[in-house]
Order: sequence, then structure tokens, then C-alpha cells
Amino acid sequence: MTSDSIKNNRNKNKNMTKWFSDISFLRESQIMKIHYITGVGALFVVAIHIMMRLIMPFNMSLEFENVILNYKNIFYALLLESILVLIAIHGFNGLRVILLELRQTQIWERGVNILVIVAMIGIIAYGTRTIIIANGFSLG
Amino acid sequence: MTSATSAKRIDDNNKNDRTNREGLRGWLNPLTYGWERVSYWFQRLTGIFLLVYFIGHVYETSSLVSGPDAWAAMLELTQTVGGHLFLILVIGASTLHTVNGIRLIFTQSGQGLGKPGRPDYPYDPTSVNNKQRSGLWIAFILAAVAMLYGANVLFSGE
Repeated sequence: MTSDSIKNNRNKNKNMTKWFSDISFLRESQIMKIHYITGVGALFVVAIHIMMRLIMPFNMSLEFENVILNYKNIFYALLLESILVLIAIHGFNGLRVILLELRQTQIWERGVNILVIVAMIGIIAYGTRTIIIANGFSLG
Repeated sequence: MTSATSAKRIDDNNKNDRTNREGLRGWLNPLTYGWERVSYWFQRLTGIFLLVYFIGHVYETSSLVSGPDAWAAMLELTQTVGGHLFLILVIGASTLHTVNGIRLIFTQSGQGLGKPGRPDYPYDPTSVNNKQRSGLWIAFILAAVAMLYGANVLFSGE
């Protein structure tokens, strides 16, 4: 491949991806550290979440009144929020890693990055809404 | 042939040459599996499965805000034999993903890989040693134990 054609390809790629913002503000090594930290963090908070289901007979613990009581406890609500954030970051970054292993082009990488960030924010927002409403705060 | 035509032909060949892009087929091909490959495959499959479950779980619990009836209706979906079996799979997948994930964190930080050696025939990598294999076995055993415990809780309702 001549240097001219390489330059042309680069320019073509730049034009194709100009609609996507450059979101490479973290190095892959830093992202993997976040992946591991969120994974280990999720292990602890999910363990507490599961134990809360086992402190009484499992079926009883899932009754509406019991679950709402859990949500009204501010510490448990914070625990649920941390589970939501940690697993959303860990899970969607894992999906990003898998998708980037399948194909490596600039447009694909940026598309995948944007997709997982949007999905991550969406699921955190949706779960937070449930926690806030069930906790008793009014959204207006 | 001009250099421009030659470059275009090379470009076209590169575009059409997909022999090195096996994609999902290459990912799932079981013919070349070793221990690391089994671990790689399970880590990704359980990860995707758990992400789908997580999204479903967030959606499922959102029925809380619609009142007791909506919550009971949503809960009924999991209070069946199929629902219990699905939750047992979730328990197994999360245990396997967690334990194997911890092994991978140690591995990626260079722990338990052994000393690098000269690549002699039959080229067994020193990194795939008994420590790594036992780590994977421990993950499978703990996943099985967690699934049995989960089955006991779910089917006895205690």
C-alpha cells in the first residue's frame, strides 16, 4: 500500500467518523483497572444484597411490604444504588471489550463506545428512578 | 500498471480478504480449545448472560413503583419451575464469572504464571500450569455448590 493510499484511507476514516465525538479520554489500562475494581466492589455489595434475601424465608422476603421496607432504609437504598452503578460500569465495559475483540475499525470502536456509554447511563437512570420512588422521595 | 491502479488493487484485496476475520465463528470454534480457551469462552458467555439478567432485573424491580399488584404479577414469572431453573443458572453463572474473574485479575497482574521458559516441543505454555487449571476447577466446583444451595432455597422456599 502506498503512502498516498494510506493517507487517503485515513482521511476517509476521519470523514466517516466526524459525527462521533472523540471519547478516548482514558487509556485501556486505566479502563481495565476500573473494570477490576468495579468487579470486586460488586462482589461485596451483591453478597450483602443476596444475604438480605436470606435473613427470612426467601418467599416472605420478596413480599411487597418487605421489599418496600428495604427500599425505605436509606443505607439499603444506597447499597442498591452502588450495585446499580458498579454492575452497569462493569457489565457494559465487559460488553465493550467483547465487541471490540470482534472488529477493530475506528468507526466500530467509536460506535461501540458511544452505545455502551448511552446504555450505561440509561440503565443507571432507570434503576435510580425506581430506587428514588420506592424510597419515598417524590420526583415532582 | 500505474502506482495508483496498483494501490487500488491492493486496497480492494484488503477489503475483500476476510480470511483473518473469523468473528463469532472463530470465537465459538471448539476445535482448538485448551484450558485458557475454556475459561475465556465461559467468562464471556456468563458475562453476557449476567448483563442480560441485570437489565431484566432492573426492569423487573421497577414494577415496585406501580404498586403491589404489578409487583405480584411480575413476581409470578419467577415463581415457576422454569423461573427457578433460570435463577439457578444465574447463580451458577455469577459464581463462575466471579471466581474465574478473580483468577484472571491475579493472572493479569502476573501472579501464578510461573517462570517463562524456552519454547521446546510440544510447546506447552508454562502459563497454563496446575495453579491456573486448579483455579478454573475451583470456579466450576463453587458454581455447582452455589447452584445446589440456590436450588435448595428456591424449591423449598426457605
